[in-house]
Amino acid sequence: MVTTTATAPRATKTSSGEEARLLDTRELTPGRYLQAWAAPGIARAVQPGQFVHALSPRAPGLLLPAVPVASFDRVAGTVRTLVASRSRPARSLLEVRPGESATFEGPLGRGFALDPRSRYLLVVSDPDGFARVSSIVDEAVAGGRQVTVLLGARSVVEVYPSSLLPDEAEYVVATADGSLGHHGDISELVTPYEAWADQCFAAGSEALLTRLATLAKGRDGRMGVARLGRRRGRRPDPGGPEVRRRAWLQVALRHEAGCALGVCAGCTIDGADGPVRACREGPAFAASELRWEPGS
Amino acid sequence: MRLQQDLAPGRHGGLKLRHPVLVAAGGAGYGSELLEAVGDDPPGAIITRSITRAARRGAPPPRMAQLPEGLLHAVGTPNPGLEAVLHRQGPRWSASQVPVIVSLCADNVDDIAALARTLEVDPDAAGMELSLECPDRGRGGQPIGLDVEASETATVAARAATDLPLIVKLCSAAPDVRPIARAVAAAGADVISVSGSTRAVGLDASRQRPALGSVYGWLSGPAVKPTGLRLVYEVAQVVRIPVIGAGGAHTLDDILDYLGAGASAVGLATAALAEPTRPGRLARELEAWGDDHAIGRIDELVGRALPRGKDRGSLRASSFRR
Repeated sequence: MVTTTATAPRATKTSSGEEARLLDTRELTPGRYLQAWAAPGIARAVQPGQFVHALSPRAPGLLLPAVPVASFDRVAGTVRTLVASRSRPARSLLEVRPGESATFEGPLGRGFALDPRSRYLLVVSDPDGFARVSSIVDEAVAGGRQVTVLLGARSVVEVYPSSLLPDEAEYVVATADGSLGHHGDISELVTPYEAWADQCFAAGSEALLTRLATLAKGRDGRMGVARLGRRRGRRPDPGGPEVRRRAWLQVALRHEAGCALGVCAGCTIDGADGPVRACREGPAFAASELRWEPGS
Repeated sequence: MRLQQDLAPGRHGGLKLRHPVLVAAGGAGYGSELLEAVGDDPPGAIITRSITRAARRGAPPPRMAQLPEGLLHAVGTPNPGLEAVLHRQGPRWSASQVPVIVSLCADNVDDIAALARTLEVDPDAAGMELSLECPDRGRGGQPIGLDVEASETATVAARAATDLPLIVKLCSAAPDVRPIARAVAAAGADVISVSGSTRAVGLDASRQRPALGSVYGWLSGPAVKPTGLRLVYEVAQVVRIPVIGAGGAHTLDDILDYLGAGASAVGLATAALAEPTRPGRLARELEAWGDDHAIGRIDELVGRALPRGKDRGSLRASSFRR
């Protein structure tokens, strides 16, 4: 079992939550909705890659849906969530009307670790994973970094509008049917960026993340990452933030619902050194912290 | 109303609970995270996730699916093995005022004895729960608790290996739990626990594949409360040891129902995952309810709904099944 060191930031669920007031819901692409919430406490504390547990008053469930915070504005005290209507746990949020509230617990889990030295960032996702990585784009651009976002979708109807991203970010699209952008898989576009990017952040299907993890492993050998100083000094503690900060590829894993305490084992997956829980040790991991099954 | 009770007064140190609302196996992990989350509102006791002798990976994902009817789950028994759990978690259990009961799962008698002996010498566990839901390797993977003799043998092995308070968890799929309950009690169990969770299948939202990676899972939540009540109702009529009931309990009414059906304590699992402080809160509500109704002790509520004649309720249940 990978244990988290005492120094690692870890958001723990408590019995109290914040009443988040819904400001607006709009359908971005068929079946996918962007919701804006007034939640100053969450907005103040959240880090890119973290999630909240959301309890809708209209459809209280047994386990609370884990909803990634897609973006946040600390000054305005607002957060935005991106929910797919086919996600059984989260779709209860779509029944909340503007002006009504849902209870948000969090922010929960461990988010991405941005290396202060990184200047050029690559962000890769599919439509399902986009909510997990979009806030790292905002944060990186606000910090003066250059960011390229690669989005792979089945068709143009699934492609998010570029208005979701800061103007400064480059936005590259691939579609499986060739209806927009590159015709093919988004991972085919990663190679030209592997030498350019200091870090890569990804979220999406298991197949996409496995392809990226395989590519990242090969990149470490080709680019001589060890010689570039990423492993200089002492070996970072397993499960600690240093491991993620030094990793070229970090991934945010999908988990739809659970206890977020780390007790239900619903989100337990195979880590490189034993089982890890997406809700506690994750949802953001260095690719090297996980065990990847080839061909999945 | 006085909520304190000792579920195993015959054992050295007993199994003393501050109140009868527990976190059942599956709702508590190994206890330490839950204890951290409950703060000053602790459950009466914690029963850990089932632990095996050697490490196990557990079931393939997805492991949980929330359905309109309840929570469908199949996590397998992912755990690092008993010795590793005791090493990592034991000190945290000792530091807590909440009794932590270790749930053990073994697929043969030798493993049961070895697990019980390991626990016996551990200073941190308040008791042991032997799960008869676990597959019996000698019977083609069928749960031990489907068979009277296998259940009795397993209990004898555990009892011989430890003087800790011993809770035996019956298998909810057994066609008739009463002979098994009798055998287990005669073999030395201090407490019997039952859960209404039932085997089930769900589909994912696309309806093109099962919702769980292992296809079959367990359904929990309010839908299974009547099943849990039935098990408590039947077992409480045929044994003279305390019964812990679980399955679908999440309100004060549910707690009162289980007590009325014959449970001395009630386990929450799914409800505790969603709200870890719920067991403590329900205990406070129960105490206030008892005071309002001039109930002096928790025992006065236990088994009020049981038939007063000899085994009548159980006989009716048996007829129904035929």
